[in-house]
Amino acid sequence: MSVRQEFWSIYREAIPILFIALGGGLFAGVVLEGMVESVERFPGLLVMVPVFLATRGNVYGALGGRISSGLHQGLLPPAFERNDRLVNAVIASFINGIGISIVIGVVTWLALLVLGWPAAALYELVGIMLIAGVLTSVVLIFGLLLLIFAGYKRGYDPDNLVGPIVTTLGDIFGMVFMLLAIGIVEVIV
Amino acid sequence: MVVPSGSLGSWEWRTIVGNMFPLLVVLSIIVLAAGITLESAEELLERFAILAVMVPTMVDMGGNLGAILSSRLSTRFHLGTTELDPRDRVLWANVLAILALAATIFTALAFGAYLIGLVLFDGPIGLATLLFISLVSGMSVAVIAVVFSFATTYVSYRLGIDPDDTTIPVVTNVVDVFGMVIFIGVSWLVLF
Repeated sequence: MSVRQEFWSIYREAIPILFIALGGGLFAGVVLEGMVESVERFPGLLVMVPVFLATRGNVYGALGGRISSGLHQGLLPPAFERNDRLVNAVIASFINGIGISIVIGVVTWLALLVLGWPAAALYELVGIMLIAGVLTSVVLIFGLLLLIFAGYKRGYDPDNLVGPIVTTLGDIFGMVFMLLAIGIVEVIV
Repeated sequence: MVVPSGSLGSWEWRTIVGNMFPLLVVLSIIVLAAGITLESAEELLERFAILAVMVPTMVDMGGNLGAILSSRLSTRFHLGTTELDPRDRVLWANVLAILALAATIFTALAFGAYLIGLVLFDGPIGLATLLFISLVSGMSVAVIAVVFSFATTYVSYRLGIDPDDTTIPVVTNVVDVFGMVIFIGVSWLVLF
């Protein structure tokens, strides 16, 4: 393949995916902008935002990669049914996704303590992350499986679907549920 | 199903969590640097709402570009098609494609943010300034993503670690941090 052909094939393959991610990112940005004013009530909120978003990609990107390998190897049927591998992969993602959310709350609080910056109470930061983590896990795990299965049955390679689905859904639902979680913790506390 | 049943192997949830959770904690601590940068820029974000709108894309896109390049490089290494020779023209095609993708996406980001600013915030930052901020920080992050992708794919290949497992997540998260720090830094310099 000539250099020019290689260049255009990479560009053409990636650009639609990146535009989808851009759309999700801009929407998430509008939600983030609405969150900035809550920072005075809960100092440390903005520290958690990039960490929370990045972890969504790490946890559910890994799930997507695993499911797509499973489909390729014929280890999984592309359907929601009681399959031991599917059940185990889903349980692991719930534990990883919710567990790391709690860790983010704790680590953020500790970092603020070390820096001597103002910080919301530990239970407030952990509470926000826990609620946002649980809600995001449910939507991302089932949404991701639904889209991968549907795409696979229609003949799309799941390897090409996972990245953009995770980035876009993760940004959108991650920020929306974080804003919702802030509202809930504000009311309860 | 023809697959041997009974043994779940690496599909056992305890194994998956045991393998992944420590890495997730390390990655969270790396990205914490991006979070601290964002929190320290709170005043900037309150004054220029449109910058907050650009943040998620700025954080994700460098990692996306790094992931695309890293997985292509690791496939080429697996297939034995490259020795990291600077005269290898196909490698240069990969690098140029990543830079072209970055230029396209970060131009689109500036236009998108500008339009959102017009509709929602009556934005005080002009299109030219937004383009400057977006392209300068975006292209810097793209160059960093390229350098990191090459370095880590090469090193992990030499060390016999499959880059798909650990290297790519580490690269994308490190590049995320650079994306945030550079974006906030460039915005600060341009707007103050």
